[in-house]
Amino acid sequence: MHRRSFLKILGLSAIFNRLFWNEALAANQPVVAVAEGRDAAQITRNAIAALGGMKRFVKHGDVVVIKPNIGWDRTSAQAANTNPAVVKTIAEEALKAGAKKVKVFDRSCNDERRCYVNSGMTAALGGMKNVELKFIEDERFKKIALRGKVLSEWELYDEALHADVFINVPVAKHHSLTKVTLGLKNVMGVMGGNRGAIHRNIDEALADVNSVLKSHLVVVDATRVLTAHGPQGGNLRDVKALNKVLASTDIVAADAYATTLFGHRPEDISVTVAAHRRGLGEMNLNKVRIVRA
Amino acid sequence: MRKANLARIIQLLFLAVFLVLFVRTEYRGSDTISAAINSFFRADPLVVVSYLLSAHSLTWLLFPAVITLVFSTLLGRFFCGWICPLGTLLDLVTVRIKKSAPLRILKGNVKYWLLFPMLVAAFFHVNLAGVLDPIAILVRGLTFFLYPIFGHTVRSGWVDLYGLVGERRDYIAPAYAVLRDNILPFRDTFYPLAFLSGFMFLGIIYLERYESRNWCRNLCPLGTLLGLFGRFSIFRRSPSSLCDDCKACRAVCPCAFEGELLEPDNCLLCMKCQQGCRQHRVSFDLALPVPGHGPYLPERRVLLGGLLSGFLLAGSFRFRKPEAQARLLRPPGTGSEDEFLKKCVRCGECMKVCLTGALYPAVAQGGVEAVFTPVVTPRLGYCEYNCNLCGQVCPTAAIPSLPIEEKRRAVIGKAVLDKNHCLPYAKKTNCIVCEEHCPFPEKAIKSEEVEEIDRHGNKIKILRPYVVDELCNGCGICENVCPLEGKSGIEVFAVKDKSPLKAVAMAPADDQPSDPGAGDGSDPYGGTSAGKVGDPYGGGSGKESDVNRRAGAGDGSDPYGGAGAGKESDPYRGGAGEGGDPYGGAGTGVGQEVKSPARKKDAGRGASGDAPAGAGNRRKGNDGGKEVWEGENPYR
Repeated sequence: MHRRSFLKILGLSAIFNRLFWNEALAANQPVVAVAEGRDAAQITRNAIAALGGMKRFVKHGDVVVIKPNIGWDRTSAQAANTNPAVVKTIAEEALKAGAKKVKVFDRSCNDERRCYVNSGMTAALGGMKNVELKFIEDERFKKIALRGKVLSEWELYDEALHADVFINVPVAKHHSLTKVTLGLKNVMGVMGGNRGAIHRNIDEALADVNSVLKSHLVVVDATRVLTAHGPQGGNLRDVKALNKVLASTDIVAADAYATTLFGHRPEDISVTVAAHRRGLGEMNLNKVRIVRA
Repeated sequence: MRKANLARIIQLLFLAVFLVLFVRTEYRGSDTISAAINSFFRADPLVVVSYLLSAHSLTWLLFPAVITLVFSTLLGRFFCGWICPLGTLLDLVTVRIKKSAPLRILKGNVKYWLLFPMLVAAFFHVNLAGVLDPIAILVRGLTFFLYPIFGHTVRSGWVDLYGLVGERRDYIAPAYAVLRDNILPFRDTFYPLAFLSGFMFLGIIYLERYESRNWCRNLCPLGTLLGLFGRFSIFRRSPSSLCDDCKACRAVCPCAFEGELLEPDNCLLCMKCQQGCRQHRVSFDLALPVPGHGPYLPERRVLLGGLLSGFLLAGSFRFRKPEAQARLLRPPGTGSEDEFLKKCVRCGECMKVCLTGALYPAVAQGGVEAVFTPVVTPRLGYCEYNCNLCGQVCPTAAIPSLPIEEKRRAVIGKAVLDKNHCLPYAKKTNCIVCEEHCPFPEKAIKSEEVEEIDRHGNKIKILRPYVVDELCNGCGICENVCPLEGKSGIEVFAVKDKSPLKAVAMAPADDQPSDPGAGDGSDPYGGTSAGKVGDPYGGGSGKESDVNRRAGAGDGSDPYGGAGAGKESDPYRGGAGEGGDPYGGAGTGVGQEVKSPARKKDAGRGASGDAPAGAGNRRKGNDGGKEVWEGENPYR
């Protein structure tokens, strides 16, 4: 092939296929988009736009799963659950990008009915067309061979596994065992069975699960964060407004950056370290491109 | 087809209301249940009379029952013929059941032998009226027996459908959601005593094969009570006996014509006789009672026998097995066991409404006197922090309806760690799931980082939980979520002193968001942390041992002052004593350690600004407290 035509094709495909272009970029250097502002919906849009927009992830007719944290019977202001405004915006963006259906669920720790209502999720997503806010149904857990370091198999939620696009939307907060809980730990919400048992070796266990269930997009809600008494909180004195939303395709990079919001270094967080070691992403923030949006 | 008269229409209406209320007695998305099945119990005269006898007091909740009683005195047993949903069900099924001869064994004074001992026993504090109350029997039969089976069957069908068609089931998911959200029980909960509850309910229906309204005329203690009150009602049927030339009433009447004479205490005022009378002779009129309808009360020996047997009954049911009592956890807000048993109707509503399926009917653990009463069973369900539905639906306030802030402080029991089972103690592995789930913002289960040697001889750090009694209300979520199989590593035990947790101990300034500008010195958390980690027992009431007094004195600004103030007889002081005095020193340690590599780093990055730096400090402060704590930890 002639060099000129090769370059032409390369250039054209880059222009016409933004995905290719972005992935070529992403392959070089992980990007974490950081949007700041008081309007949670707007900064969510900005952060996603900075990564190339939702169209980069969602194709026409896709089934999109958004996995926020709706684990606790707490209000949105108490920062134990993901900000419903952030979730709603992501759902809107996904629909705009052509998603056929958006499913939102979490295996909650408290009574799921109370969690869904009290977190504000029901109010935010109720009535949205083609958006399903669903309770977890036990029969949908499928035993999946993880062949991981500590978990050889585990029950994972089939709707999460089968999604065309899996969007992981944790809230950034303190956790008593892992210091912070972010995207890597948020996937516990699609784990079935006696998931408390993985706390014995949570770093490797989470890496095991995350190597099988990949998050195509991670949006970290740091509009307000829980700085102590996590993961449940309950006292507004432990809540700090940061007015930030992070987005990344690299779950480890997203977690690593979010960690710094709490004054920790990524290396302090063993969950992040294990995931990085296992090749799930980049935790060295010097190697990550931070894009302000 | 018989023509429907007014009584029948009203009956069906009340049955419909009953069933709707029954289904609505569940969390359906709102924190409050405005109308529940308890309305029927609040209007139930047997409930109010037995409550009055056993509790020696009255609650306004039962005011409707007093009204029912007044009207029954004036009008007779209209409740049975017009309102009682069990009676309506019997009326509906009895037409399909072929009758044999009445059971002789039920005739005579059986119903008085049920009612009198029951009421007398109630007077001597063993209130078993609810066991035989017809509405309670019906609600229990539904709650424990039919409804779970119905729910499970529908749910299994739904699950099986998934096995058959997989994801395509989603097409009809909205229809199922409507069913699930409005009709089905949300959880698959199976109850002990389900068989007995079903047996009692179905047994009453079975009795219909001997005669119609067999239960109502021969057994029902509520009916008997109303019969007694309504004996001299001023609203009655005339003629008061069968007419010699017709006697059709006997066939029409469901309840009151055993012989020639109308039994006024069994007339349900259903007015079927009036409707069925071809001669138009029957009428129901207001009239002064005519004496001479037999004795008001049954024979004296029934009365005396009832009195004596009630007294003896009360005494004979009082054995309580101590080890069972330790796990006899009552719903939040209930008083002492005695007080609770006096008031509980055993209607099963609290168990039906319980969000997480934490409440189950007592079988034998509370003794015979406690059968069917609700017991919190944490391994199956826990008391949800933000839920107070059981109190809302309790008809007699045996479980008081507490505002949510007060319910959180109401003590069910206290969590106790079992070091032989708890993973960080027994297996030297991390876990801390109990702490994670503890709903109190200040955490009644805290953790300390300790160094251990693993089996390879390496030093490892693990977090070990411990319980702070002053913050624990015994909700049981820790026991519920403990990842150990079978027996939990942490369990809730009943306590005698159920005085509410101190408000200040729970969440100081709960509704005030943090001040973003708060610097190190004024960081409110620093202080809290000092108190929290270092000194949960601080401000001991002064009646405590020296150890605790010193701890309290160590920190003058302790925001928890008084939090630890227990009663002199507080049996939990032992917990403080056990730990020795690690609490004193820790408080001072926290202040120094607010140094922050975190802060420097944050400033350097320049991205996170002030607020997160503060966050970092808080965290550090917390750690710092722990480090000092460890230094003096007598456990190591």
